[in-house]
Amino acid sequence: MGTLEKLAVLADGAKYDVSCASSGVNKHNQGGIGNSKSFGICHTWSADGRCVSLLKILLTNYCIYNCNYCVNRNQNDIPRASFTPREVADLTIQFYRRNYIEGLFLSSGIEHSPNHTMERIYQVLDILRHEYHFYGYIHVKVIPGADTALVNKTGLLADRMSINIEQPTEQSLKLLAPQKTLPVLFAPMNQIHHQITQNASERKIFRHVQKFVPAGQSTQMIVGASKDSDLSIIKATETLYNRFQLKRVYYSAYVPVNEGPNLPALSTSPPLLREHRLYQADWLLRFYSFKADEIVNEQSPFLDTDLDPKISWALRNMQLFPLEINQASYEELLRIPGVGVNSAQRIIRQRRLGNICYDHLKKMGVVLKRAKYFITCQGCYYGGIPVESALVRQALAPVAKPVQLCLF
Amino acid sequence: MDYLYDGSFDGLLTSIYYSYYEQKAQGIYPEASYQFNMFTPSTIIRSDPVLAARVYDAIDKKISVYSLMQIYYVYLSNNTAKENFILKYLQLGFQLGPKIDSVHSHPKVLPIRQTAKKVSFEAERFLGLLRFTDTGSYLYAVLEPDHNISVLLADHFADRLAGERFIIHDKKRNLAIICNQKEWYLSDFSGKAAIPDSETEQFYQELWAKYFTRISIENRKNKKLQSHFVPQRYRHNLVEFRKSELF
Ligand code: SF4
Repeated sequence: MGTLEKLAVLADGAKYDVSCASSGVNKHNQGGIGNSKSFGICHTWSADGRCVSLLKILLTNYCIYNCNYCVNRNQNDIPRASFTPREVADLTIQFYRRNYIEGLFLSSGIEHSPNHTMERIYQVLDILRHEYHFYGYIHVKVIPGADTALVNKTGLLADRMSINIEQPTEQSLKLLAPQKTLPVLFAPMNQIHHQITQNASERKIFRHVQKFVPAGQSTQMIVGASKDSDLSIIKATETLYNRFQLKRVYYSAYVPVNEGPNLPALSTSPPLLREHRLYQADWLLRFYSFKADEIVNEQSPFLDTDLDPKISWALRNMQLFPLEINQASYEELLRIPGVGVNSAQRIIRQRRLGNICYDHLKKMGVVLKRAKYFITCQGCYYGGIPVESALVRQALAPVAKPVQLCLF
Repeated sequence: MDYLYDGSFDGLLTSIYYSYYEQKAQGIYPEASYQFNMFTPSTIIRSDPVLAARVYDAIDKKISVYSLMQIYYVYLSNNTAKENFILKYLQLGFQLGPKIDSVHSHPKVLPIRQTAKKVSFEAERFLGLLRFTDTGSYLYAVLEPDHNISVLLADHFADRLAGERFIIHDKKRNLAIICNQKEWYLSDFSGKAAIPDSETEQFYQELWAKYFTRISIENRKNKKLQSHFVPQRYRHNLVEFRKSELF
């Protein structure tokens, strides 16, 4: 099979993985080719509107496992192919020089054994880093079950590593990926987390110590393949952030690729809106210091599809509103629907120079369409309807059509 | 009095200098595109690097580096009122000093912020959307951006492609960034002699186009969103849109 055919097959198998961001590290070129920008650069957008920043491929789509939701599972009858480590390295360099990509995201099915596959992933990095002196971004998937030593030496060459947990609970893993268990997935996560922390403290003493996974680790959960609620997903996300200090948790609306008794029918369309809401909720966890149970709880375990999670939270907590723009603390400002990190900072800065009046707010980036029901400005309320949950909800829902997020 | 300058950043700063120390400028315009009229007298300003440097330093010291950067971005924009935005902004800037950075919504500040943002947005976009072809002896890229952003791309690619020779050619403005492995310079440039793409080059273009079509998920197709990110006007310089079977 020629490179062209292999690329087609192995890009196909990797496309459901959503982690496309190359953000997180700033790295200069030190006498080779390439650098990394921490803000992440999108190089193009595919026909589904998703940003393409990395060459995202599988090393192989042969797999000894049989995860129900996966195109590459063992029992599927699909064209199979494997790249040699050198082929992947060459493709990366040639695409990179032409500025098609920001780096490599290498994933893989498990061919023969976890160690065999992990070793070959290591070889790709070895060629790129040591032979081509490539300083661009590399994200690799860790093969659960591979030797600690192998994972460690790969981590010294990668920018980011990830182990996809795919399902938020042990039960759904058992149902859909019977060969995997949470402890088996958590073990390498824990190891990487441990190494990152240790590496950071070593680097404080010895500057020359090589960086270990400088862009941190991430994971992905498939949404909609199992019956798990948003509550389980967001809870799991929070745990992953707290326990392993993950940089990102990605969500991937399940695109039905297989038939099976435990899977949604092939005709089911991917729950894009739900995915979108989960990203919004994740945003609240990471940047707005929300706790998981403020976002969803046992009484309402699913996110509201009509309204974004910040508005839903505000509507459940109407007693806190309206907040006076000229007095609210930074943390309070951040909790106002329609006020983002940038506009909250601008409000704080401009307030030092004098009172803010309502007209200023729009220019500062505040989305008044939403914010006006939750604020007063110099004592005046501009919402026009009583500050009452049901009424405000009616005024705000349904919100604009779902848009797909660019993931960075 | 209208001031007419040669279109260079130095020329613009020189005009600002004269507007401060000689006669106040009513407006500043590039000489090449100026529409003379009977009611406003005009004078041609010769660009003077020494005077320009004085204005440059004054902005840096009395206002802020941030303002300086913003002005430069606005200067690179295609907005025809840009010189007057800058003139008015600086009038306020020399009154307020660094405080000007906090009055985001002021009518003399907002147009600067908005215009600079458009320029930096386009520059950032092209960090990703620029495509090089390998001619065998150097890498060559064409772009036709709305704003004059090539200089904003140069450092990035000089670092990224250190050790390679490359040309980034703004076809719309007949300009190019030319980089000889480490140093780069901006030059007038009116097009390469058509060098046909080599076989290897075509091979990698095909691979990329193929990859590009395979990576999209059928059930999630969203052409509108794609158009939002990659506007039609940029597409003819993008291998994957030119070559892929989808288009
Ligand atoms: S181990 Fe990975 S590639 Fe193999 S079937 Fe499971 S999800 Fe698919």
